Amino acid sequence: MNCLDLWAIGPELALALTCLLLVPLAGLVRGKWRALPSIFAGFGMVVALFLNIQTLNFPQQAVFCGTYALDGFGSVFKLLIIGSALLALLPIAAYFHGRDAEPHAPVALMFAVLGGVALAGSLDLGLIVLFLQMLSTASYLLVSVTRGGKRANEATLKYFIYGAVALAVMAYGLSFLYGLTGSLSLSSIGAALGGADPVWVWVALTLILVGYAFEITAVPFHFWAPDVYAGASAPVTGFISVLPKIAGFAGLLRLLLIAFPNGLSGWPILIAVLAALTMLLGNLAALRQTRLKRLLAYSSIAQAGYVLMAVAVAGTVPGALSAAGYYLAAYAFMNLAAFTVVAQFERKSGQDQLTSLRGLSKTAPGTAALLTLALLSLAGIPPLAGFLGKVLLLQMALSGGLTWLAVFAALNMVLGLYYYLRPVVEMYLRSPEGETELHREPGYGWALGLTTFGTLLLGIWPAPALALLSGLARMLH
Amino acid sequence: MLNLIIFLPLLTGLLILALPASRPALLRWASLGGAGLTLLGSLWLWFSFDGRAGGIQSRTVTNWVPSIGASYDVGLSGLGLAIIVLTALLLTLVMVYVLSERERVKEHAFLFLLMGTGLIGLFSAQDLLLFYLFFEVALVPMYFIVGIWGGEGRRYAAMKFFLYTRAGSLAMLLSFLALYLGTPGTGGAAHSFSIAAVAAAQPYAGTTAAFWVMLGLLLGFGVKLPTFPLHNWLPDAHVEAPTEGSVMLAGAQLKMGAYGLLFILLPLMPQTVQRYAWLLAALGIISLVYGALAALAQRDLKRLIAYTSINHMGYVMLAAGIWGLTSNLAVRELTLNGAAFQMVSHGLLTGGMFFLVGILGHRAGTRNIDAFGGLMSLPRFAGLLGLLAFGSLGLPGLSGFVAEFQVIGATVGVNIWLAVLTVLGLLISTGLYLRVLAGVLMGQKPAELNIQDLNGRELWAIVPLAVLSLLLGILPAVLLEPLSNAVRSLAALGR
Repeated sequence: MNCLDLWAIGPELALALTCLLLVPLAGLVRGKWRALPSIFAGFGMVVALFLNIQTLNFPQQAVFCGTYALDGFGSVFKLLIIGSALLALLPIAAYFHGRDAEPHAPVALMFAVLGGVALAGSLDLGLIVLFLQMLSTASYLLVSVTRGGKRANEATLKYFIYGAVALAVMAYGLSFLYGLTGSLSLSSIGAALGGADPVWVWVALTLILVGYAFEITAVPFHFWAPDVYAGASAPVTGFISVLPKIAGFAGLLRLLLIAFPNGLSGWPILIAVLAALTMLLGNLAALRQTRLKRLLAYSSIAQAGYVLMAVAVAGTVPGALSAAGYYLAAYAFMNLAAFTVVAQFERKSGQDQLTSLRGLSKTAPGTAALLTLALLSLAGIPPLAGFLGKVLLLQMALSGGLTWLAVFAALNMVLGLYYYLRPVVEMYLRSPEGETELHREPGYGWALGLTTFGTLLLGIWPAPALALLSGLARMLH
Repeated sequence: MLNLIIFLPLLTGLLILALPASRPALLRWASLGGAGLTLLGSLWLWFSFDGRAGGIQSRTVTNWVPSIGASYDVGLSGLGLAIIVLTALLLTLVMVYVLSERERVKEHAFLFLLMGTGLIGLFSAQDLLLFYLFFEVALVPMYFIVGIWGGEGRRYAAMKFFLYTRAGSLAMLLSFLALYLGTPGTGGAAHSFSIAAVAAAQPYAGTTAAFWVMLGLLLGFGVKLPTFPLHNWLPDAHVEAPTEGSVMLAGAQLKMGAYGLLFILLPLMPQTVQRYAWLLAALGIISLVYGALAALAQRDLKRLIAYTSINHMGYVMLAAGIWGLTSNLAVRELTLNGAAFQMVSHGLLTGGMFFLVGILGHRAGTRNIDAFGGLMSLPRFAGLLGLLAFGSLGLPGLSGFVAEFQVIGATVGVNIWLAVLTVLGLLISTGLYLRVLAGVLMGQKPAELNIQDLNGRELWAIVPLAVLSLLLGILPAVLLEPLSNAVRSLAALGR
């Protein structure tokens, strides 16, 4: 068996090379050259994206001695991860322009992207732990490079401690899998686990879920998110609210579907309960927030709950993977759009009170309209992407026989509407109370334009995206 | 042509957003032009509609989300067409009315035009998902219209409006999804959202699940209708909304629920509706009597008119119930004709009433009925108010009579006690309108009240509604003919 299939990991290699070049580059650049690493990172990701598109139609196979998957599932998720990272890089570069952290932010971002991309393809317990750590560590770094000051440091520390504990618990659970089956390979584990003691399998699963629940901010391992989101700079918050989540869902789906086939240990119902709790808690907590970043943090917890509905039925309902993928793509667009506006705010005023949005529709009508579109999409109003995404998710839950969950989710969406409208109320229904200043850089405009375009396109003409996402169903078993 | 009519308002709206804000007059005339062209187009559709052929005409079907069997599928039924013309008319009159007023012209025009696209699309959608999409597109602008240009309590009213209707529409969405999952699809998709396909498949007929699916639809349509006990948002929204917002809300948006009730619920779940027909009939009667009684208790004219909407739209709910209680074709046709007629008639009469009350409130600075009197001295205002009020209380010769007479007539044939209760509601609302007329027009004019009669622009906005109401009262066949085929096929369902 040839175990050195370097040809198969073109995108990963491009990302890794960029990472390696960025580290010294970021240390060397001075003055106006400090924008160079961001440009370089963007270039590396575009190359990786291009190489990844080439792999979309490859026949599915396991490379590197069966430890790494080359399949439709991986390719589509990599596309989502790299694409959303590119969209997140634009506001990050704009936000840090002219600041000390300018050359360092893209480096941390690149490592996180590499970790996320590789996680989506990993078929081996060792690789899963490795890349999950890479993704998380890079995310901690990204939070820490953003801004001096107490809140950012606190956020980094909190993120780091919770992350380290969650991932350690998860690694412990993974070691159970090895103990039960004597293998590190997900597919061998899946084949052998049926004969193992169900109690221990359940224990292993529960421990593993801790790690993934941390990455995707599912209840009850979400509590780091609001503080970290609030502490980090807005564009970084946008990034960590999207990328680790998409990568986490990729890893979770692959693990559950391959290593725990046929709903082993009853994970579908476990995930369904997790989904219900996550959306309820996220929505209830978001109702009371007075700061935008915290509001969006709880909203993103609730959004993770919605996606978990599709995860719960992923093993039984065809199309559940496409629905999850569609929703994550929609989520990336609308959430990044919202955080881009918050970034424009925060850079000027240093804060993110809801009331500071007051009257934005008069002072900056374009920005206000785009933020409104993003929020309405998050709330699931047609014809925006978030609407069709929610329809698909509800449909999956109903097809999978989880009628109670679909009804519960619909009630939650009503709750969600209330807090998504609060910024809209401030922007449109109240008069400005002073100067609202926005930080202006071309990067914001590009990010807002692209994300809004994506939100509209996915909602109005979803057929091409759904055709692409149907590739998600091609997964190694 | 139909596609053009659906999207013309939206395109005009986008054009207006692109025009310079420094020339409000140009913006206003452009929005009036867009609305007027939409009205002309809808009239063209009206006259090219083949009333005898029936079925769904001017149909366009294209793939939208092929993988889940949802398509962009629009076409005209007799009732849909009538409401589309009504919507386009009201939209145009609203633009006439605001021709020289309102701040933030761009947003104002854009939101109304966007709502126009939502409404026209909704009344022509032949696919459940598309119907839902247009439903929400019609709702969102109203939130902003109430919230930005409304009165003192506008933020509260806007939020309440949106939360109520959104909760209802999400319940409706779940029911749509359930219906979808019960319907076999064609051409690759496992299921179908096509209204015709769901009607052919009759999912859940005879099961207990059917009740829950119907309940979801009733919640969605009932909030919008509005029916007791889901009406709570309506008075607030109406009172706070600017005049033109109230006109669109009462004239066109309430028809969304009525249309859904008759043209989605009945054909998709006829057996279930028959089984629970008493529920619909009871809701209809309660709304009808309650709406009239609650209106009687109001001093604020706008709030009063808002409550009468609950009374008027109660007839539509009652008609759906009567339809289910009997299988007599003639009775069913009568009641459905009445309900469909009521939808158009209420749009004309209440739309006009809201214009008048809005103008009165604007001029006098109050809408309290006790503050008025002796306005008989304003001939144009008094004449129009009298005409519209008599139309609303069901005076023969005006459109309201044709509508209510048919529903009550059908009720008599089915259950005499229901009919007695209906007549009770009718009596209360008669007293109510007479009290409005007496309070505003008769008696001594308060000394501090000094208001002008309607000006030309206002006449242009209201007179068409009054004339149409009169026309439909004298020549109901104008409307009944295009409706007849749609109504006949509905009447024959589930027997």
